Amino acid sequence: MSRIILEARDVRYRYPGGVDAIRGISFHIRRGEKVALVGPNGAGKSTLLLMFNGMLRPDAGTLLFDNRPLRYDASSLRDLRRRVGFVFQNPDRQIIAPTVYQDVAFGPVNLGYDSERVQDVVRDALQNVGLAGFERRPPHQLSAGEKKRVAIAGVLAMDPDLLVLDEPTSSLDPAGSEDTMELLEELHQAGKTIIISTHDVELAYPWADRAILLREGEILQEDIPEVAFGDPGLVRKARLSVPVLLELYQELARRGLPIPEKRPKTVLDMIHLMEQAFSQGARTGTCGTIHVCDVDITGPEALSGWLSSRDSLWIGAMGTRAKQRAAEGQIALDFTYGVIDKCLLRALSGESSLILTAGGMVRRVEVRVSAFAEEWGTRIPVDEVRSP
Amino acid sequence: MEHGFLENVAQENGLVGVSPYVKLAVGLGAILLALLSPNWITPLFLAVTLGGAILLLARIDPHLYAHLLAAPLGFAVLSVTAVVLVTGGGAIFWAWQPVPGVLLSVTSGSLSQGALVFSRVLGGMSALFFIALTTPMTELFVVMQRCRVPLPLVNLAMFIYRSIFILADQVEQVMNAQRMRLGYSSPREAVASFGNLCGAAFIASWEAGEDLMRAMDARCYQGRFAMLGESQPLEIRHLATAGAYLLVASALLLATVPGALSWGGV
Repeated sequence: MSRIILEARDVRYRYPGGVDAIRGISFHIRRGEKVALVGPNGAGKSTLLLMFNGMLRPDAGTLLFDNRPLRYDASSLRDLRRRVGFVFQNPDRQIIAPTVYQDVAFGPVNLGYDSERVQDVVRDALQNVGLAGFERRPPHQLSAGEKKRVAIAGVLAMDPDLLVLDEPTSSLDPAGSEDTMELLEELHQAGKTIIISTHDVELAYPWADRAILLREGEILQEDIPEVAFGDPGLVRKARLSVPVLLELYQELARRGLPIPEKRPKTVLDMIHLMEQAFSQGARTGTCGTIHVCDVDITGPEALSGWLSSRDSLWIGAMGTRAKQRAAEGQIALDFTYGVIDKCLLRALSGESSLILTAGGMVRRVEVRVSAFAEEWGTRIPVDEVRSP
Repeated sequence: MEHGFLENVAQENGLVGVSPYVKLAVGLGAILLALLSPNWITPLFLAVTLGGAILLLARIDPHLYAHLLAAPLGFAVLSVTAVVLVTGGGAIFWAWQPVPGVLLSVTSGSLSQGALVFSRVLGGMSALFFIALTTPMTELFVVMQRCRVPLPLVNLAMFIYRSIFILADQVEQVMNAQRMRLGYSSPREAVASFGNLCGAAFIASWEAGEDLMRAMDARCYQGRFAMLGESQPLEIRHLATAGAYLLVASALLLATVPGALSWGGV
């Protein structure tokens, strides 16, 4: 298996009306990467995405999937579309069937799976996106965020290697956007390669491993987000704006403050940087404890028993399943997005917190916290809540 | 956007747990009995009992149900008035000849004929509403497939069902935009606005169709469509209740025939 999953070599496309949509684009996407295609409206983002699963065929240049040039005969396209899952911008335009179950099963049925396997993959896909129990609901009764999840589940049910999402958070409210980005993070953790298009730089900046800035069908810049969004001139040229954190960093640097080279991607990074700049890294006081609870292991009664023996505690849930369990157990959540970072922030100010999670994510919390503590030269205790 | 579609009411009615076959049997059986009945007693019985089931078992909002019944009942009152005045037979209670050759009269025969027509409308509509308010389309698709309706027809019906709500949204948006700019303020404006609305709806449905094809292509469409299994197994007690109900109604029908309250014929 090659490390590069998708490659474009001098791809060009002109719409039948005569408008050049893509004017010679080359790039590659590595397996397991999270890439954001960022650009203003009309930059050619959607056109480019539609080439990834063969919906549009470039006029010139080559696209390679898994190191093989795309072929456009029916059976090759079918295979390609199974492996490249495409989520349209408007879920109403993607959801075909009259019920959630039938829609998620649409791909698997057409791939010829037997009915038992269809049921299995649909159940798993719905569980993955947190819509278990929605099987018989008609799509028009769902919220925009839920429809988006149905669309993603429909694609997940075909078990693609690469997920392509066109403007995944457009028309969602802030909570819906955060949920969707969190879901993408979970899918990435599960090994999927993900490409999104967006013009929301605040969204793309902390999420992406790499950002590709597009303008008028050409690549302006392609780099890690700190660099890609770091050049105000370039960003303005692409009709975008510099992410607030990055702008703040640049302003601090301009004032000659002794701040590190590493640019902040999150509020946590920013606080770290400012503490270092203003107090020269001298931390006083002890940090709060971060408790982690695997909701698959610790049942609701054990958890509520544990919670009742504590005073005030910040509580966050990571992942769809943990959020569902919290809702079932009527546990009020303080954090639902960027949970580890927010708990680290609380720990630094001496307060304790609890992270609800599931499915082997406990280890991830421990690794992240210890790496962070080492970098900061401090000690943040992590305690796993276990069933008595 | 929330539409006032009966479908949305049906999706959340209190009889969602009952197999659609049972509900269809009750509804269709009631329509048949209402049509077969030669007098007003059985249809009225069906209207009252099915209305009760709609309100108490399916827990449909009484205002909504009254609103739904109002339209067909309005028509029924008009046509029954005509039937009573025009038909004759039996003892004459009242008569009037406005112009030579036209006789309007109220007789015992015309009254019972009117009562029959009115109660049939009431009974038939109650049975239709019983089906519409308790059985969502998504369940009828399963029934259609089980009853061997050709698959392309069922698939087409499902596409149409899905598209109705999307199109209705768009039509509503266009219409709101027109209203906000006084598009329906005069009859002339209204005709022009309605024409524009139809044009916009046509273009929107064309685009939705193209998008649908693209979405199906992207998801490896090969002519197959997943089917939802039955949501509710056929429960004996539901079946028994429905059977008993139809039996009682049939018995009532038979018991009232020999009396021959009015064998006027329609």
